[in-house]
Amino acid sequence: MNESRASYSPLVRELFERLPHSGDLAPGPGSVVHGEAVALDRGAWVRFEARIVDRRLADCAFRAWGCPHTLAAAALVATRMHGQGVDSQAAFDARRLAAELDAPPEKLGRLLVVEDALFGMLARALALQLVPACPSP
Amino acid sequence: MSDGAPIYLDYAATAPLDPRVADVMSDCLRDPALQGNPASVHAPGRAAAVRVELARGQVARLIGAEPESIVFTSGATESVNLAILGAARAAGNGLRHVVTARTEHRAVLDACRQLEREAFSVSWLAPAGGGSVDPGQVARALRPDTALVSLMHANNETGVIHDIAAVGRLCQERKVTFHVDAAQSAGKLPIDVDEMGAALLSFCAHKLGGPKGVGALYLKHRPRPALQPLQFGGGHERGLRAGSLATHQIVGFGIACELARTGLATESARVRALCERLWSGLQAAAPLARNGAADPSLPGILNVRFPGVEGESLLLALDGRLATSSGSACSSATAEPSYVLRALGLSDLAAQASLRLSLGRETTEEEIDRAALLIAGCVHRLRAALPAGAIEAIA
Repeated sequence: MNESRASYSPLVRELFERLPHSGDLAPGPGSVVHGEAVALDRGAWVRFEARIVDRRLADCAFRAWGCPHTLAAAALVATRMHGQGVDSQAAFDARRLAAELDAPPEKLGRLLVVEDALFGMLARALALQLVPACPSP
Repeated sequence: MSDGAPIYLDYAATAPLDPRVADVMSDCLRDPALQGNPASVHAPGRAAAVRVELARGQVARLIGAEPESIVFTSGATESVNLAILGAARAAGNGLRHVVTARTEHRAVLDACRQLEREAFSVSWLAPAGGGSVDPGQVARALRPDTALVSLMHANNETGVIHDIAAVGRLCQERKVTFHVDAAQSAGKLPIDVDEMGAALLSFCAHKLGGPKGVGALYLKHRPRPALQPLQFGGGHERGLRAGSLATHQIVGFGIACELARTGLATESARVRALCERLWSGLQAAAPLARNGAADPSLPGILNVRFPGVEGESLLLALDGRLATSSGSACSSATAEPSYVLRALGLSDLAAQASLRLSLGRETTEEEIDRAALLIAGCVHRLRAALPAGAIEAIA
């Protein structure tokens, strides 16, 4: 058995402690899209949900299983995506997350799972905008 | 532990130094009359030697042995290495086979791997789902060229106890040297080396409230097993372990053994009751499961898995409030799961979702109740953030 040997940056500790935007979206107007990536062998499972109102992410939430870096990364993404336009290219790829969270290189595989879930959600959000609205009767 | 310190539930890793032991060691370090080398013939040397021999008797009594059967070492790892490498290399007569189990401590596994590199053959026994190795498995593994059987008395991760006496009888019948790793059980379970049929038995001080850096290897007196030393330089400990004896360490070891022996029955019962109280309190974190058979097991080890919970996250959630061990290596890319839990049939994810909680001398009911609440709270918090289906998928 192993005692905790990993070191965590203050940002990881703060996000892990609060897990902001974890859980479900609050009820509200607009359409809900999600993105999910599962890689149990890499030690991460992340699902994002966002409410789209006027081509913007009016709200964003996550659910995740994984190490503290994975949970912190998902919380960081969900927090920062709030209010972003659906066509804004994701500001968070795995390498940028790793740098911001000061994650060790061996955690990059898990952060890629966060990236996959985010990109999946954004792709759905974009696709939603391309569907023409039904004409009113 | 002191106020404000994390609740300490990692006694299987090491026990805090008993203050009574610390006092005796401190006196020993300060006493001008005890500063000689116990191997020296002058008065200070002889005075130190008297204390060493007193401690040797105390250490021997804990395991029902004679003082002259004890060799002092730097700890259980050295004792195990001396026993396994020393006995196998000394066996001769074409005896090139060793039997052990996959769930042994790393010290045993690595010593046996070293023997494989030296062209010995090793039979690695797999335990049943409950974690114990059946004596029948050992019987089936024995061969005409078997030099040694090495089995732990109680597992360091699950607390599961092996039927050592049955294996000892088997080894005596087949005239095979039997080594017992008793690092976890010494001072916590009654040990009688003759009843166990052990030719060699390893244990150390720091698991039972003594200092780190000192241990013992028991060698059966008659017939004495053949043993090759691992280090040379002075003929100490009857030529089996060269190096000046650390008087204060050995004195501390002796006192720790004496305290453990005299308080064993009451302390074992107290710690076992605390363990059951903890298990009961942890039901608030259901679903959960116990790893390894509950009976027979060491009184102070509870290995629990929490489906859907990631071990590293649980440890960080508990960080600063509870000192314990998880079933995975936290900072590795692959989160290496415990080989002991995997040998019990657990998946990698289930092993990673496990905590080893180990209790001891200073553990109180109040700490146990607080620890159960704390763990349950952290488990609930992490589960509240899980994707749907994760608890079932990561069980």
